Amino acid sequence: MADSCKYKRRLAWLLLFVALALLPLGVNNYVQFVINTMLVYCLAALGFNIVIGYLGQLAFANAAFFGIGAYAAGLAMARLDLAFPLALAVSAIAGGLAGGLVGMPALRVRGYYLAIVTLAFGELMRWFYVHADGITYGAGGFSPPPPTWFGAPLNETGKYYVFLAVLALGVAATQHLLKSRIGRAFVAIRNNEPAAASLGIAVARSKVVAFAWSGLIVGLAGGLYALLNGRISPDTFGLAQMLMHFAIVMIGGLGSLLGSILGAVLLTGAPELLRNFPGLEEIVFSLLLMVVLFFMPRGLGGLIADRIPAVRERLYRE
Amino acid sequence: MLQVENMTVRFAGLSAVSDLSFQVSPGEIFTMMGPNGAGKTTAFNAITGFVRPASGTVSYKGVSLLGRSPDQIAGMGIRRTFQNNGILREMTVLENVLTGLELAIPHTFWRTVAGLPGARRAERRAVAQAREMLARMGIADLAERNAGDLSFGQQRLVEISRALVAGAELIMLDEPAVGLSPSDRHHLAGVLRGLAESGIAVVLVEHVQDLVMAVSDRILVLNYGKCLAEGAPDAVRNNQAVLEAYLGHE
Repeated sequence: MADSCKYKRRLAWLLLFVALALLPLGVNNYVQFVINTMLVYCLAALGFNIVIGYLGQLAFANAAFFGIGAYAAGLAMARLDLAFPLALAVSAIAGGLAGGLVGMPALRVRGYYLAIVTLAFGELMRWFYVHADGITYGAGGFSPPPPTWFGAPLNETGKYYVFLAVLALGVAATQHLLKSRIGRAFVAIRNNEPAAASLGIAVARSKVVAFAWSGLIVGLAGGLYALLNGRISPDTFGLAQMLMHFAIVMIGGLGSLLGSILGAVLLTGAPELLRNFPGLEEIVFSLLLMVVLFFMPRGLGGLIADRIPAVRERLYRE
Repeated sequence: MLQVENMTVRFAGLSAVSDLSFQVSPGEIFTMMGPNGAGKTTAFNAITGFVRPASGTVSYKGVSLLGRSPDQIAGMGIRRTFQNNGILREMTVLENVLTGLELAIPHTFWRTVAGLPGARRAERRAVAQAREMLARMGIADLAERNAGDLSFGQQRLVEISRALVAGAELIMLDEPAVGLSPSDRHHLAGVLRGLAESGIAVVLVEHVQDLVMAVSDRILVLNYGKCLAEGAPDAVRNNQAVLEAYLGHE
């Protein structure tokens, strides 16, 4: 029985891998761009979900991490002439460091206060992008050099494979983390902080680790965004960006990796389908958010997990 | 093993615990009783690092616990449960008990993230240990259930399993019998005796008198934060001051 389940799971992964590998063959350049955008937001939502879903902290620094990652990768390419893989590594490191830094206030404040502190951090970063024009090119933003692969420009299909590989690595690493004692500590803190401490969980350290990992993943997503768009400016990383990430995670499901991915696919794909109906995009977006919050408090990830036990996410699975 | 000397805990100038002294030896079941607000849970919180005493000393195996954080104290082999249920409701029973092994699973962050075999092996060993503990407590069949869905009594047993799984030498249980059925209480009494027989020191805060009298080696009665009486169950039961302040005349 267990062997049969394992076999089915492996087969499902293999089919998914083949489908994803062949996907660019059947789509045009525009659709490929939309799919690439989905992959970027899948990664961003995954990172955001660590803090808000697994750790249960009302922190909204994700747009800031996203911006830091985008600026770090873009500036590494524009000012230091780094190749895009190295620029992506820089974006992850910058995001991780910012995450660790933002995690510090979470040791002292919580709830709405933490929400305000983290939102203020995002605004502070935007102020920096605008005013530190000697580093960031100021309010007008900048265009990093187009990414290349062995001398040839990276087209949308090339970006797709890079983004997919980065997302797969991000999902695998985060899943390893969450299914270990580190991830259990995050959820224990969310459930009952004094009980977690009484079990030997170093609450402060665990919170900083969660924020740093979240920052690393969202920063990496920001780095991909810089490659995707080819244009980086301060106004991209404001409240609208934060709300987008928040809506993705809420609709996908708090504390669900699968939900992060489903939410990102839905909320980046739906606007493209509604592009020909001006005004409808906002209405559908709002209705979708209300319907999910009213009828599916655990989001799409929770809904699917309730119906298909095989995809139910556990902190430990044999 | 555990030594509390002249411990005083104050909140906003009011003494919740005054000049409290006692000691607990390995294999002993030591119970703190007293009316609501007597300072029992405050004393627990002070010993386990959740509250800082205003004066006095608390030491474990000769090492002072003062100034240490709750997780550091847990790391020294002292585990506790909570009066208002410290269960991790959104986790399964197995995950709850695995959380108790936080300090016992060797890992490095990057090995875990990379999913290297060493990290996976450590995880498998921890799971085997957690399952063994659940079997010892007679709740192995609950392993995959959501802890939040269990009865109060079952949740108490999960909490105790979680506290014990890492090999605690001193376990402090805050009202473990509250809300338990008579049969669950009987089971709990057996578990407590088993722990003591294996050399584990048990400190209980408990109101349920039949359980306390049946399992305790020594009882300390607190009233208004002060020690009213201390001694063997029979001596305490017949103590005039205790009868007037807490147990009531029969």
